[in-house]
Amino acid sequence: MFRRIILEDWTHIIPIVSFAIFFVVFAYATIRALKLAEKHREHLETMPLDDTSNASSHHSHPTL
Amino acid sequence: MNQTKTNTTITYDDTSVRQFMIASIIWGIVGMLVGVIIATQLSWWQMNGKFLESISFGLFQGEGLSYLTFGRLRPLHTNAVIFAFVGNMMFAGVYYSTQRLCKARMASDKLSRLHFWGWQTIIVAAAITLPAGLTRGKEYAELIWPINIAVALIWVVFAINFFLTIAKRNEPSLYVALWFYIATIITIAMLYIVNHLSIPTSWIHSYPIFGGLQDGLVQWWYGHNAVAFFLTTPILGIMYYFLPKAANRPVYSYRLSIIHFWSLVFIYIWAGPHHLLNTDLPRWLQMLGMLFSLMLWAPSWGGMLNGLLTLRGAWAKLRTDPVIKFFVAGITFYGMATFEGPLLSIRAVNAISHYTDWTIGHVHSGALGWNGFMAAGLFYWLAPRLWKTNLWSTALANMHFWIGLVGILIYVAAMWTAGISQALMLHEIAPSGTTLKYEFIDTLKSIHVEYFLRSFGGLLYLIGFILCGINILMTARSGVPTNDSVEVAVVAREKKDTMRWGESLVNDPLAYIFLGIILVCLWFFLPAHANLGALVAAILLAIKAVRSFQTNKETWVNWHERLVDNYLPFTLLVFVSVAIGGALQIIPSLVVNRDKNIEGRLQELYTPLELAGRDIYVSEGCYNCHSQAIRTLKPDVMRYGRNGIADDYSHLGESLYDHPYQWGSKRTGPDLAREGGSIVKGAKLMRSGRRDNVWHFNHFLNPRETSKGSNMPNYPWLFESKTDFKSLPKKIAVQQKIGVPWPAMSKDEIEQSARGQAMEIANSLVKGGVYLTAKPDLSGDALRNYLSEQQVVALIAYMQKLGAYREVKPEGGTQPSPLDPDSYRATAMPIARPTASINSH
Repeated sequence: MFRRIILEDWTHIIPIVSFAIFFVVFAYATIRALKLAEKHREHLETMPLDDTSNASSHHSHPTL
Repeated sequence: MNQTKTNTTITYDDTSVRQFMIASIIWGIVGMLVGVIIATQLSWWQMNGKFLESISFGLFQGEGLSYLTFGRLRPLHTNAVIFAFVGNMMFAGVYYSTQRLCKARMASDKLSRLHFWGWQTIIVAAAITLPAGLTRGKEYAELIWPINIAVALIWVVFAINFFLTIAKRNEPSLYVALWFYIATIITIAMLYIVNHLSIPTSWIHSYPIFGGLQDGLVQWWYGHNAVAFFLTTPILGIMYYFLPKAANRPVYSYRLSIIHFWSLVFIYIWAGPHHLLNTDLPRWLQMLGMLFSLMLWAPSWGGMLNGLLTLRGAWAKLRTDPVIKFFVAGITFYGMATFEGPLLSIRAVNAISHYTDWTIGHVHSGALGWNGFMAAGLFYWLAPRLWKTNLWSTALANMHFWIGLVGILIYVAAMWTAGISQALMLHEIAPSGTTLKYEFIDTLKSIHVEYFLRSFGGLLYLIGFILCGINILMTARSGVPTNDSVEVAVVAREKKDTMRWGESLVNDPLAYIFLGIILVCLWFFLPAHANLGALVAAILLAIKAVRSFQTNKETWVNWHERLVDNYLPFTLLVFVSVAIGGALQIIPSLVVNRDKNIEGRLQELYTPLELAGRDIYVSEGCYNCHSQAIRTLKPDVMRYGRNGIADDYSHLGESLYDHPYQWGSKRTGPDLAREGGSIVKGAKLMRSGRRDNVWHFNHFLNPRETSKGSNMPNYPWLFESKTDFKSLPKKIAVQQKIGVPWPAMSKDEIEQSARGQAMEIANSLVKGGVYLTAKPDLSGDALRNYLSEQQVVALIAYMQKLGAYREVKPEGGTQPSPLDPDSYRATAMPIARPTASINSH
């Protein structure tokens, strides 16, 4: 019934398809974000603070 | 993590970071200075060049200078701020953070240098060509085609360098900032290439392959997403890397950042049509643009809150650390601008805000507040580390913050006030109930104070940014440029990027999702019975998916985690996400036969002289202040429509052959869609519309002579520059290629037609008693012959053609009208289907 009212022109399907695709993407991303393993999350979120965690030494070289 | 024991020493390429940062500061000052100049031009028309008489003590004499008009400088301002200032800032942030997040030096020093110098060369080329009037006439896409190709090539250089760096990384995981960078690189490449598809007519001129509505749709798909993917996503990546560093604590919620990324990337690409609300754009596209814009509230505020809450427990730093100050204010402006954007996308609000300064205020709260302050925070954080010293003056940085903040607030408040006041005045009906209360010029005069405050606010912001430049310069002078080195454990190739390309799409969860969407679409599309088949197939697929999940739970669960650690499949999926949005919006408009969508009016083809005039109109950037689109709103139709013609808004067919379309986005002057008229009795091609040729002549010479209080520049050079008749055959040949049905004409016929029409117009001007102060000796035939060669006559020819169309009636009576929120309008004027020409307007 719903689609019979709204589909007077084929292009009007596009907003519905758009919402359907978005809903699927959003739902999947949310579920995966919530299910993210705690250890992996901790590793990821500390990456910016961890420039040298994978380094045995850190030093600087003046250029020129 | 999955690492071997082999260690290696890496020296980061911080030279490129320094170069991009310095370039950003220099171009930022240039772009903002041009912004202040054009702001003053709206208050004082003399700022369009005449002011040079005063400051050169009479050395320069003239009523204006073509290189300095608002129409030519405004594109320079927007391009400088977007591509030069924010572009270079983005590259500095990306180069610094990518190397550290990947624990790898940039892949190629040569590519880095080519990227840097190539980008700066492009900016210089833009700074020369735009004031010279060389433009494609599309906002933020004005650069001429050879520069477009250079931009695409240099962007590819950047992309190769970036992806090769990721490929050789010594950290298997990809931090969310890198996701935002990937989305930026992929999406900007797609948008830029599609919106710049053109066919050249010469080395400095081309026509876009799209025209009319299609061009508008592609333009704002690009224009809106240039904001999204050039001014937002890379800066969000920078936020997610540099804010935790500045606050010395991890991002508030990494989970939220994942949802933020996918939602933002997926939703943003759909929102472009909100730039064309209340026009004759098909209703479904307007609804799509509006609703997806409203949906943007959620991810945008999710990102803002994620940024601000990262400071939990560290708010005390806000008092002392200028970096935190700028970041917090920048993120807050991001929240405010992304609240305002969806608000302006509501059709009822857009009816007020569109074409006014409210939009300008919105854009600047984003550009000055979000981009400018994030850039300042980034520079103040980077400079001491890149030169291994302390920031030269924290007090000066704090002063920059407060001057800049006050500047933004004055600017934005002035623009809100100006926009809303002018819109309300423009919409106000006179007590009689049949006419509008105010003339356009009255509304312009009423916002002079706000225009002055805009210049003042912008000047404050510029001064603040100059202080930033001084501070960074002195910091650099007090230190030594230094490249960081670290010793890292090398990650073996087989321990990273283990997912193949195909797996990103052809895998259990995603393949089921795609197939499911296709089957649901078929259920909608297919005729009776066949659609039930699709529905049954969709249900069976869902059952199979559930069974597959039960048996392969591990694969389903780990798929996303694997995807985000594998950059190539991840990049492919990001591309699919943004491409779906673009394709579903644009392809229907491209494939539907354009001639069936004219809504009863078919544009009259230009004559060769009118085409020459149109090119001059585009070259002078008239679209920056004048629209050519009467919206489907009563005040618009009452103000710009013609008496006695019902529903006289701009119908789709009226701009069918306009390459590029010229609907505009701001009305500093009135709409011009109905400026033209019919052919004058006894004339062969000459037309006369709302105003006669003499009025236009005097108006271009001195707008205040015909419109008291106008802030439009004088255009004296139009009376001294010759029309380019010779290039017309080539231009017409290109227009034929892109679908404009020009009749077959030889070169001679084209030139004869153009010169003949020019002579008719020049004759009418001389008869009307026009006088050229620059040529006092000319009169009679000599004046007529002189004028017929000049650009002003071609431009008048174009002005008098605006809005000319043939009316076409539907075959077999009225067609069913679509059911949509505007069906009241469709009922008032049933949609027409073209068969034959009946009337000409």
